[in-house]
Amino acid sequence: MKVEIRLPELGEDAEEKASVSRWLVNIGDIVNTGDDLIELTTDKAAFTVPCPQNGVVVELLVEEGDEVVAGDPLCILES
Amino acid sequence: MTENKTEQDVPSATPSKGALGEFPPWLRRPWGSGALFESTRNVVQGYRVHTVCQSARCPNQGDCWQRRTATFMILGNVCTRNCLFCSVRSGNPARNVDLEEPLRVAEAVRALSIRHAVITSVTRDDLHDGGAQQFLNTIRAIREINPHTTVEVLTPDFKGDVNAVRTVAEAYPEVFGHNIETVERLHAVLRRNGRLYEKSLSLLRFVSGFSDKIIVKSALMLGHGETRDEIVKTLQDLREVGCQVVAMGQYLRPTKSQRAVQRYITPDEFQELEQIAYSMGFLFVTAGPFVRSSYRAEEPISMLKEKRFGSVAR
Ligand code: SF4
Repeated sequence: MKVEIRLPELGEDAEEKASVSRWLVNIGDIVNTGDDLIELTTDKAAFTVPCPQNGVVVELLVEEGDEVVAGDPLCILES
Repeated sequence: MTENKTEQDVPSATPSKGALGEFPPWLRRPWGSGALFESTRNVVQGYRVHTVCQSARCPNQGDCWQRRTATFMILGNVCTRNCLFCSVRSGNPARNVDLEEPLRVAEAVRALSIRHAVITSVTRDDLHDGGAQQFLNTIRAIREINPHTTVEVLTPDFKGDVNAVRTVAEAYPEVFGHNIETVERLHAVLRRNGRLYEKSLSLLRFVSGFSDKIIVKSALMLGHGETRDEIVKTLQDLREVGCQVVAMGQYLRPTKSQRAVQRYITPDEFQELEQIAYSMGFLFVTAGPFVRSSYRAEEPISMLKEKRFGSVAR
């Protein structure tokens, strides 16, 4: 089954916009819950987004330099 | 307008980020995610409470919220001041006070099973008591339905109004925090008012004298261009007014509208500052890039109570 992994929402007033600094996984990688998927930067600091479930990375939907907001799909996992 | 003009006032030792990936390697945090994080978010939204975690865009939100803790911001989310380092919305709340907010905060504390609740607020210069009564009501509401929860307040300066400070102190929060924020010289720049430094010290002095049952706490954010000597002088001033707990963290610009970071303090430097502060007699010191006064605020509580009263009362 294919699952879209999205950037989680932080809630009202919180920082919800970021730019992609780099992927920490490649297509074909096996990933587990909690593994860092991607590094983002906001105006404030750098953030890593942990993987919400186990699976294999089949597609990356954003690339370095892209602006992302909470709720945006980041990649697709096959699980 | 993208950049704040005042950024040019001070030469920048380590330029803040312009393009990607310019943060030093130690400034990396987990983005909020996972079931526990979401359950905290649901409680915050469900009870319609504000948190400084969100309003200040705190980089620790992912960490704290997945431990099911948050710092509640009372008296709304619109601040009557406009400090250059802060992303909380500034405006005129027109003397509005939500009288049901204390209960909602208390219920959120219960829903999250928070054992040490930290309550802060926007600054409300539009209210005659600066919002002190709302602090008192919130502390009482929390205690009422969470009898085992300790309470820490982090208050504004109430314009130096002793009666307002007393109102809050009379609720006997276990910890009374008021942040000095920065060294004396930089108050004129960052807070647009150099006299606020003295005001903050007076507030802390008053609370120290009010009762030895209340632990007095303050915090500094570094990286605004202050010197080592100025930091040490500020710590000395805090000790002199009876402050016992201090937190020191890295200032991080919430958005491009706030003042740029002048310097990134290394983790080693933070460690040194921690030692210096301990040598000055603080009972508990936290220092590190992501330290905020509310970050892991529960950790020293039982130790502090033991140290001061010989037993853990609550
Ligand atoms: S450090 Fe304080 S403000 Fe930041 S997320 Fe944690 S509780 Fe919230």
